[in-house]
Amino acid sequence: MPEERKRRPLEHPNQNPKNNPDFSYLDGHMQRKSFLQLLGLGMLPLSGFAAPEAANRVRHIKVPAYLKPGDTIGIACPSGFSLPETIQPAVELIQSWGYTVKIGNTVGKRDFTFGGTDEERAADFQAMIDDPSVKAILCATGGYGAGRIIDRLNFDTLKRHPKWVIGFSDITVFHSHLHQVCRVASIHSKMCGSFPKDWATADQVQTDSILSIKNAIEGVPVIYPVLPVPHNRTGIAEAQLVGGNLKILENMSGSVSSISTDGKILFVEDVGEPLYNIDRMFSNLLRSGRLTKLKGLIVGGFTNIKPDSPDAPFGRDIYTIVKEQTSRFDYPVCFDFPVGHQKNNFALKCGLLHRLTVDTDQVTLQEIS
Amino acid sequence: MIQIPPYLRKGDTIGLTCPAGYMESAKVQTCIQTLQSWGYEVMVGKTIGSKSKTYFSGTDGERRDEFQAMLDDDSIKAILCGRGGYGVSRIIDELDFSRFKKHPKWVIGFSDITVLHAHLNQRIKTASLHAPMANAFNDGGAKKIYVQSLQKALKGIKSNYTAKAHAANRTGTCEGKLIGGNLALIAHLVGSKSAYKTRNRILFLEDIGEYIYNIDRMMVQLKRAGMLSNLGGLIVGKFSDIHKTVRPFGQTVQQIIQSHVAEYDYPVCYDFPVSHELENIALKVGVMHQLTVTKNRSVLKEL
Repeated sequence: MPEERKRRPLEHPNQNPKNNPDFSYLDGHMQRKSFLQLLGLGMLPLSGFAAPEAANRVRHIKVPAYLKPGDTIGIACPSGFSLPETIQPAVELIQSWGYTVKIGNTVGKRDFTFGGTDEERAADFQAMIDDPSVKAILCATGGYGAGRIIDRLNFDTLKRHPKWVIGFSDITVFHSHLHQVCRVASIHSKMCGSFPKDWATADQVQTDSILSIKNAIEGVPVIYPVLPVPHNRTGIAEAQLVGGNLKILENMSGSVSSISTDGKILFVEDVGEPLYNIDRMFSNLLRSGRLTKLKGLIVGGFTNIKPDSPDAPFGRDIYTIVKEQTSRFDYPVCFDFPVGHQKNNFALKCGLLHRLTVDTDQVTLQEIS
Repeated sequence: MIQIPPYLRKGDTIGLTCPAGYMESAKVQTCIQTLQSWGYEVMVGKTIGSKSKTYFSGTDGERRDEFQAMLDDDSIKAILCGRGGYGVSRIIDELDFSRFKKHPKWVIGFSDITVLHAHLNQRIKTASLHAPMANAFNDGGAKKIYVQSLQKALKGIKSNYTAKAHAANRTGTCEGKLIGGNLALIAHLVGSKSAYKTRNRILFLEDIGEYIYNIDRMMVQLKRAGMLSNLGGLIVGKFSDIHKTVRPFGQTVQQIIQSHVAEYDYPVCYDFPVSHELENIALKVGVMHQLTVTKNRSVLKEL
């Protein structure tokens, strides 16, 4: 399906948006469509949207080469452990896309919750960084452990020959470090465990989430239209996209890997935290100056929230928490964005320039160049 | 220089407030009676046993205003927090410490109150008391040495605590200003202007209700933030009610901490009586102490 759309004759969407029903939201006449329908937009090149000074604003971030069939994708476990059978659906699908898969020796290794000892995980990841044949490193799973090895890794080769690092959750450690220290773009997306065992019977939202990884590594510019929620704060932002797991963003504070968010669009998501702690983590972002100079804020899924104790309800949901913590600012904020520990978790390119449009009837995140 | 607030005299007033979580009035009665029996007046704030229906003892504004009033009221010589929970981070930047700075007083508490200790230490340069709060006085706690250590601290009696030897201790002696508190809050403050600076300090840590992997992650954070490399000494209190993951983490809290400080050579002691449990002695944050860890015991002595 995506192949077919990719081969459509290139259209310049700005030339006549009204003739293209998919782009009707551009002049405010968008019909309500499901996110999935709208997702089809992601297959169109959209260079016509680029702001004139855009290139200057991201020139200090290196964008790894996009992949082409025949290239090799490495799979490694820098955090939690993953079994060979768990990653098998991912391996097979990626091979069906025309790529060669190099399975790192941490797959199947286990040191309690970790995918091998710190030494083993660092060595495997280092080998992936240094192997010139590996064009992208897909992390098998998150969990915990990237923070324990990040300072052992030597990114010199990767800085000279950037390659995509792909994953989310604990892999936010890499996204932060690559952005802040190495100045290299990376891909925030689902990992091996989320590839469906049976593609034919899988939910479309799951297969679309997985296909968004393929699009991202192949250089299809991102454009994600999302249905708005009433809590959103409208506005438009054009800036570099950064973000990831909120807990990890808090945890990176004080380290060299902590992202400077000034002038950027920040996305956050988390899983399994109680509301008070989500509030506390936003307090950390606020008090460390990381909410103050944002251009825009994208709030993804906050799933499996740990219930409050019945006699002391926190009294605020994620919308209220974010609204309170950002009340003194006026940048656009959108909620329920399809990123997080959930089925609809679409690939995002960290470090690349994006335009976030939060309108009352449409939210769009769009990669611009 | 850290300024030391005046110690209390009989007849002085202690303000009782809840800057974070909700607390019912019934749970502070023993505390009030005990403070009165020590010869102090108690001013009970409206955040204690408030009408709040939420997690907090009041709105951010109510909690802030009451704490501010107690900071600025010259008749109040110490502020005892009723309990922790969560909430100080939401109001700390709205508190004005300018009058307090000129007329310092003891701020007392632990857990979420670690935010105040760190802020007072780092920004206001004023000593504070990491000590039991109102609930610790209940169920006979008022007669135990831990609550009584608070009484001694308020009187200005210098502390000298001895803890039992622990097989994992690293021997040595150091002198430095004591800082510390709840690990989750110390980690949470990193990156903010209230974060502790740890150079040559004696750092104490305790926590409750965390997953072991998260304790490791927080220790990694402190380490990566440069907060473990230059310590004078490390005091590890109790980590209570540890949450286990389905897949075992494979290390105890003690092993985790040992692994993260293995490359340094300052003294480290474990199982020190600072915690969310009964064992929670009063510690003067910001005050010079000497930590001596030997094979037989650990001694933390106020200088």
